[in-house]
Amino acid sequence: MRWWQIKKRNDDLERELLSDLELEEEEQRDRGVPPEKAADAARRAFGNIALIRDQTHEAWGLAPLERFWEDLRYALRSVRRAPLLFVVAILALAFGIGLNAGVFTLLNSIFLQPPTFKDPGSFVQVYARYTGWSTRENQYSPFTTEDYDAIRDRSKVLEDVAASQGSSVVLEEGNRPNAAQTVTCNYFRVFGVDRPLIGRFFVSGDCSRGSAAQVAVLSEATWTTDFGSDSHIIGKTIHLNGAPFQVIGIVSSDAANYLPGGIFVPYTMEPLLDRGKDLLNSPDAPWLGVAGRLRSGFSRADAQAELSTIMSQQDRAYVKRHTSAFNRKTNLVLTNGSFIEDPAIRDRVVAMMALILGPLTLILLLACCNVTMLFLSRTVTRRGEIATRLALGAGRGQLARMLLAESLLTSTIGGALSILLVYRVPLLIMNAIGSHQSRFVLLIHPDWRVFGYLAALVAAATILSSLMPIRAAWKLDLLTALKGRESAATVRSRTTSGLIVVQVALGFVLVCVAVMFGRLPSLITGVNAGFDTHHTIYVPLAVDTPAANRTGALTFYRTLESRILALPGVQSLAYASLGQFRPVPPQEVRLPGQTAGHGKPVSVDDISSNFFSTFDIPLLRGRPFNSADPTSPTADSVAIVSQAFAKEFWPDGDPLGKSIVTPDNRRLIVVGVAADTRSESFDVLDGPRLYTLRDASAPGGRMYVRFYGDPKPIENAIRDTVKALDRTQIIAPETIWESLEANAEQISSLAGIILFMASVGLLMAVVGVYGVLSFAVNHRSREFGIKMVLGASRRTIFRSVTLQAVRNTILGLLCGAAIAEPGMWALARFVQRGSPLLLRGLAPFVLGVSAVLLVVVSLAATWLPALRATRSDPMQALRAE
Amino acid sequence: MSSIKDQTKQRSAVLQGTLDMLILRTLLYGPAHGHHIGKHIQQTTNDFLQMQHGSLYPALHRLERRGWVTSKWETAPDRNREFKYYRLTEKGRKQLQVEESQWKQMMEAVARVMWPTSEES
Repeated sequence: MRWWQIKKRNDDLERELLSDLELEEEEQRDRGVPPEKAADAARRAFGNIALIRDQTHEAWGLAPLERFWEDLRYALRSVRRAPLLFVVAILALAFGIGLNAGVFTLLNSIFLQPPTFKDPGSFVQVYARYTGWSTRENQYSPFTTEDYDAIRDRSKVLEDVAASQGSSVVLEEGNRPNAAQTVTCNYFRVFGVDRPLIGRFFVSGDCSRGSAAQVAVLSEATWTTDFGSDSHIIGKTIHLNGAPFQVIGIVSSDAANYLPGGIFVPYTMEPLLDRGKDLLNSPDAPWLGVAGRLRSGFSRADAQAELSTIMSQQDRAYVKRHTSAFNRKTNLVLTNGSFIEDPAIRDRVVAMMALILGPLTLILLLACCNVTMLFLSRTVTRRGEIATRLALGAGRGQLARMLLAESLLTSTIGGALSILLVYRVPLLIMNAIGSHQSRFVLLIHPDWRVFGYLAALVAAATILSSLMPIRAAWKLDLLTALKGRESAATVRSRTTSGLIVVQVALGFVLVCVAVMFGRLPSLITGVNAGFDTHHTIYVPLAVDTPAANRTGALTFYRTLESRILALPGVQSLAYASLGQFRPVPPQEVRLPGQTAGHGKPVSVDDISSNFFSTFDIPLLRGRPFNSADPTSPTADSVAIVSQAFAKEFWPDGDPLGKSIVTPDNRRLIVVGVAADTRSESFDVLDGPRLYTLRDASAPGGRMYVRFYGDPKPIENAIRDTVKALDRTQIIAPETIWESLEANAEQISSLAGIILFMASVGLLMAVVGVYGVLSFAVNHRSREFGIKMVLGASRRTIFRSVTLQAVRNTILGLLCGAAIAEPGMWALARFVQRGSPLLLRGLAPFVLGVSAVLLVVVSLAATWLPALRATRSDPMQALRAE
Repeated sequence: MSSIKDQTKQRSAVLQGTLDMLILRTLLYGPAHGHHIGKHIQQTTNDFLQMQHGSLYPALHRLERRGWVTSKWETAPDRNREFKYYRLTEKGRKQLQVEESQWKQMMEAVARVMWPTSEES
């Protein structure tokens, strides 16, 4: 019999015992016991029937299950007795668990899942680590074309090997940079996409070297956004980086949701797309990511062994062929293809997940605090019942089990409800991140990892929220509780204070995160850069400027300059070597007489003479560059320095007329001092900056255009001008302000989500603090009454309650700061890499604002309970004595 | 009064671990219900072994769970009532042999310790 037949089995046992009892009764009668006493005698002979029943149940081996079921039934009954409380608890937990699991679902889809749905067990991604390579010393890198060919041709363990490279191309018809993948022709098959939405996929002929076809497969997202789902797209010609490609198929975003490209082209097209480089035919350039499918019956370890052999053969061939001293040695790592297993970025992914899930866990903790409080108050109101149980001999374990069952019931229902959020949250987040991210929107599939995580959260919530109630139940003073004395406060003030401190601390950390992210967009758009961002357009150009093409490039630039300057609304045009809002690698600048190594790090910007007027950067002293200044890179010349530079090099003296030495040993005389700008990091003054005069006869550099009026028509005019000159130019001119705004927009939608989550957390914290205080005040009403009888005024009582709350709040803030400070530091360090956002400087602001907010809301939460404390009735308190 | 007390003193609880064997042995005579089994053991030992119902029923259910006995509600031949009859299975028979031989070994071992000379004589 199985456990679900337990009822039947119970009935059976009951019947058996009853029939044997009757037999015993008959025997007793036969023995001469008077009929009216026979039943009792039989029972005596039989012993304790309930005990027999219990012991028999034990023999079934199901006793723990039965006991658990009993606890659960009991929990259900107590839910029915206090439904509101459980609804609140369940909702709090559902939110806490749901937000966590929802975000985890998203992270899981992006980082943890292998990039294919079809038989992910046989999918392998291969990463190479070339050591002894000339440039890439000991780094994970893609494969060279030769190595890919070797693996594909020689591997027996892998039945299909694909390679791909992600890049950005300009789709002329879409006029925006588009994500593209140059792929081998078996790419879709290896990634488990069997058939296209419409049209066809690549056939092997499309990839043959030399006679490769200029064909492209579009992802469904690109097809929808850039071509309006044109049903006649197949066979049409599109232009990628200026080259014509024929569309042959559409790959559905459902199947290809992991496939990162918007446009797929054969990998043999790489030289065509990537002008000036020919990675495909270069024996030394690593560029291909390699993935394959295991032949059935082979494991990843087999593949590892085989591919390593192949690669060491390749290494030997490489060394033999090259007369150079490089002694290449390749190590391989094989993974399931998920991001988190990518050895090059694993650490960053883990750190990122920790940074995202960390604050979310705090929301769950807050929910647990709330639930703890609810259960705690229930434990206290039920202390009569609990005391009776203890008096009747219930063990502590039994008691704990009972309370655990209640909180398990609550968190399981909460967890079940949270599944709704698990499906909603990822979509909400992806939608909020922005419409032009929509082509990367992943189809979110919760899998065993998500549900495992959910189960872990439920278990954690169960245990966390039942710890304190269990402790309170164990500490119950039997005697007073049994006497039913209302007066005996059983929850220590230390417990309630602890809860308040924890909730304030957690709320504080969450608010800090929200404030920080809420501040970022305004930090970006509100930046006072020190130059005009609204009327300066950056014109991105890609021109080959090797010596062979020098005259061609020069003509191109000259013509372009004159045409742009002829556009109505354009004021001036300038060049610079440094971009805006990106870290600048410093160069060493010395004073004359200093030897190399003793100079100071300086950002050097190589500019054209009208740079300052184009950017509207005021010159504080001296003169701007003029056409008479020598520009030859070998000759000594003049320079303009920033204020910070002047202060750094000549703290007291006059910089004008002084000499400096550049890293290439040119001696420059300072002729002007320009105002400082904030062009490297947002809202941070740049360090020392040196402006040198650009050689006007050398093409290249970043082109900036100053204009007046509305930017849009000018941007379009510039684009058309460039296209008219060179159709292959990848160009989307934008004012500096517009590119900032685009950045800020993305961050602010993300900030919106974080703000929402933090608000949920803050609400929980406030409700929690309110709950704890109300509870504490209710239980101290007798104490307040007595105090009043002894002469305390209502104000004194109000003050004492508020003061204690304030003390706890401050303690909570300190604890919170102790968590938030290092957290922000870690985040800042994480974000810092390659980003102009300086988060470190934000800390005081964030901590301050959050602290004020927290104090205000927790005072608000204190108000009502404190007021209630003053309403304690002294008479009632005395009567209870 | 005192005689009852003495009697009680001489009675003994079924030795730990032997109850299963005794039940299986009893069922060798044929199917029987719980009450019958208990009474049988008690009577055969002249009331020396006290059958506690509290251990009898758990034991029966344990044996059934192990597949050594099966149970069925059947009408008793002499009465017009159904009882739950336990029946020895083939597996139970084998188990009985195993337990019997183990018990014999045990007895011999104990005997050798208790009465070392008796073997020599």
